[in-house]
Amino acid sequence: MVDYELTINGASRTVATDPRRTLLAVLRDDLGLTGTKEGCGKGDCGSCVVVMDGLAVNSCLVYVGQADGAAITTVEGLASGDELHPLQRQFVDRWAFQCGFCTPGMLMTTYAFLGENAQPTPEEVRQAIAGNLCRCTNYRSIIEAVVAAAGERSPQ
Amino acid sequence: MTSVVGKPAARKGATEIATGKAQFTADLDFPGMLTGALLYATEAPARILRIDTAPARNLPGVFAVLTHDDIPGLNRYTYSHTEDQPLLVSELVQYPGDAIAAVAAVDEQTAQEALGAIDVVLEPIKGIFDPLEALRPEARQVWPDRPNLHEHLVIERGDIEAGFAAATVVVEGEYTTQLIEQAFLEPEGAVATIDVDGTIIVYASCQAPHRDRGQIARALGVFENQVRVITPYIGGAFGGKDEAHVQIHAALLASATGRPVKLIRSREESIRTHVKRHPIRIHYKTGAAEDGRLTAIHVAAIGDTGPYVNAGAEVMGVLAASAFGPYDVPNARIEASTVHTHNPICGAMRGFGIPQGTFACERQMDKLARELGIDPFEIRTRNGLETGATLPTGAVLREGRPMRACLEEAATLSRWHQRAEFARSPAPHLRRGWGVAANIFTVGLGRNTQDSAAVSLEMSADGTAILRTGAADMGQGAHTALAQVAAEELGIELDAVRVVAPDTDLTPDAGPSCASRATFLSGNATRRAAAAIGDSLVRAASRASGRPQDELTLRAGYVHAAGEQLVSVAEVAAVAKEANLPLHSDGFYAMEYPETLPDDAYQYAHQVFTFGTQVAQVLVDIQTGEVTVEELTVVQDAGRVINPGAAFGQLEGGAAMGIGYSLMEQLHTDAGRTINNTLESYLIPTSRDVPPMNVGLVEIPEPFAPFGAKGIGEATLTPTAPAVANAVADAVGISLDHLPLNPERVLAALAGGDPDRP
Repeated sequence: MVDYELTINGASRTVATDPRRTLLAVLRDDLGLTGTKEGCGKGDCGSCVVVMDGLAVNSCLVYVGQADGAAITTVEGLASGDELHPLQRQFVDRWAFQCGFCTPGMLMTTYAFLGENAQPTPEEVRQAIAGNLCRCTNYRSIIEAVVAAAGERSPQ
Repeated sequence: MTSVVGKPAARKGATEIATGKAQFTADLDFPGMLTGALLYATEAPARILRIDTAPARNLPGVFAVLTHDDIPGLNRYTYSHTEDQPLLVSELVQYPGDAIAAVAAVDEQTAQEALGAIDVVLEPIKGIFDPLEALRPEARQVWPDRPNLHEHLVIERGDIEAGFAAATVVVEGEYTTQLIEQAFLEPEGAVATIDVDGTIIVYASCQAPHRDRGQIARALGVFENQVRVITPYIGGAFGGKDEAHVQIHAALLASATGRPVKLIRSREESIRTHVKRHPIRIHYKTGAAEDGRLTAIHVAAIGDTGPYVNAGAEVMGVLAASAFGPYDVPNARIEASTVHTHNPICGAMRGFGIPQGTFACERQMDKLARELGIDPFEIRTRNGLETGATLPTGAVLREGRPMRACLEEAATLSRWHQRAEFARSPAPHLRRGWGVAANIFTVGLGRNTQDSAAVSLEMSADGTAILRTGAADMGQGAHTALAQVAAEELGIELDAVRVVAPDTDLTPDAGPSCASRATFLSGNATRRAAAAIGDSLVRAASRASGRPQDELTLRAGYVHAAGEQLVSVAEVAAVAKEANLPLHSDGFYAMEYPETLPDDAYQYAHQVFTFGTQVAQVLVDIQTGEVTVEELTVVQDAGRVINPGAAFGQLEGGAAMGIGYSLMEQLHTDAGRTINNTLESYLIPTSRDVPPMNVGLVEIPEPFAPFGAKGIGEATLTPTAPAVANAVADAVGISLDHLPLNPERVLAALAGGDPDRP
């Protein structure tokens, strides 16, 4: 057991755990943040993407030790209280998901992406989400939601 | 004029999904919960010589190790009429997805250690992996007591000999389709707990909560009312969660330990175990007159269904009952063989036999068009089914107008007649082509099947309503659509309807969410329930206003009379409650078949159909064999759209899956074992693989349907593959009759090789 200091959605958390565990497992099982999903456990699907120090990462591929001292944002940290983040609202309004299992990863990937590219073209969004699988949509509604969210405000 | 049905509305539960609060099965947690895991066979087929669980049982942290000996009730999945699949194998391992033991332990690591400590000795036996070989008389039998040919179905109308004799042109082709994985993003899972009164509660990501309840009860040897199945949010299914997966095992483990047990499949286990879309070999012969009118078809399809029957025969039945396509065929003979091998089990996957049959049918139509020099749209229009036409199954088409309406809309959207404006060869290595494909799709389970749905609807004195439905929403939007139907009929806003998701203790049996049936059947049941409550509201409003009941209507939150807005539904609900008028109703609907079919009709003939047309514009790189779909036009007959966002999602998502089927997806096997068991090796379309789409909906209301709406969830992936293949054939002038159209296959075809070799 090792103690790790993580900043999760702005709050500082100490986790005592086995260093061989993944960030995904710690988020879901130790911290109860089950919004982040496991679809494959191998970094193939993107369902578990969280933002770590500004970068979108597959949390199933990050050992908790690698996240020591990092600032992590999960889907639970996207809204401000009851006010949805523009990405969330656009995803809801535009049917940018059907089953919704890929949605947390898709939101976090695009949240990090808008941090790098505040006003992307649809083609740039298409490239940015290429590592996030969705089996329900054809990605059109997702791409449109991201472009619309970017148009709404300059992302932080 | 409707005020809620057909209007844009967000998905029910959308905010919970977007904020990460929506709980899927794996997100559930209970105090003292154990981790369950299953030991799968390492060899298949094989005979079990020994199972020794003692070393695993003695490990600290292990609470239960179960084998076939520990199942109190029936050791069988009971989904299929042929109950041939054991929950835990006792003697004969038939495929690598067979489970031999189930464990429950304090955590995942201990559970895995326990699996490793179970001593299983298997004696491999020789398997059979080629369905054609399996059909030979001397072939090794998959089952000692029954033949490899599980079923040979024949659907026949007219006289094909005469039909072919009358033909000017006869076209014959041999088509093959590949083994396909659903690849829903959420792997299968279940959590089972024991309630204080001993009721087994099972939370499961599933398509058929009530059917699952029955299966769990039979395995535990208890009555169905001692089992409660609840569906959390479901992360996609596409047919792959129609049959029970781990929910029965989770219940067995919870029952054995008295503790909550969570059992989630890994991605590898998921791909290894659940049913796939059948690989099917189809021989298709079509005869037509000089004007392109069909005179006869003869179809012979051989489906490799794997060792267990599952829904294999039903899938082949639906193929046979639709392989004629959306065309008027006077003489038809369609044969469908369901064959056992030791390959992966095949059963329900989005489309249920229709994608395979449509691929062959629509390649044939193109070859015929080419042979006769008729435009591909024109030959389809000339042969299109019309209202009142008798299908080869004996069914009479109630509403045939959407068939041609889809063709016309697709021709317009795709600018079919302007395609000469594009360069045929925009670069020396590139060839451009266009292809069209049309389809017919069946809604519901067919005649002589259990095909009904119930809902429970209740209005409160404040005018809000709760809709309790046993129909699983796997993402297709059924709950939102049903809420819209309820809101429309009750005359209230959509936000005033809350939906209770399937919980077999609270929600009545709606049957499985499959066969594009949920909106149609549960929609009708919801209308009936709402109409009964609406009657109370109108009676109350009549008493309050003094206006006769037949002048009053409920719409958009108010009672109206002769265009005048009288009083709010909420106020009337309070009056009704006060007056002891019922504000609760259960609605029930069973598929209606008022028409009597001839004696020789197909016993499971469907009576509700949707139509669709897709057009693909492709570029073929003749150096690499790569096919790029530049644009896909997707037109679907919906009868009536209940929710545009959901409808477009189903159309586009279905077509994206169709692109995967056309170009990329194939589950490979080696001696029956699936070898690309990850999402890294089993490739589904990413955002970079789906083409731009032109999407169009045709709305011609269907008789007997709720507001005219039909199921469209499965139909839209169906015409994609033949449209793409027809476009590739148009581009390079070579026939490509085997899916997927991957670069290797296209290059082999271009080089004049045998494109049948995968």
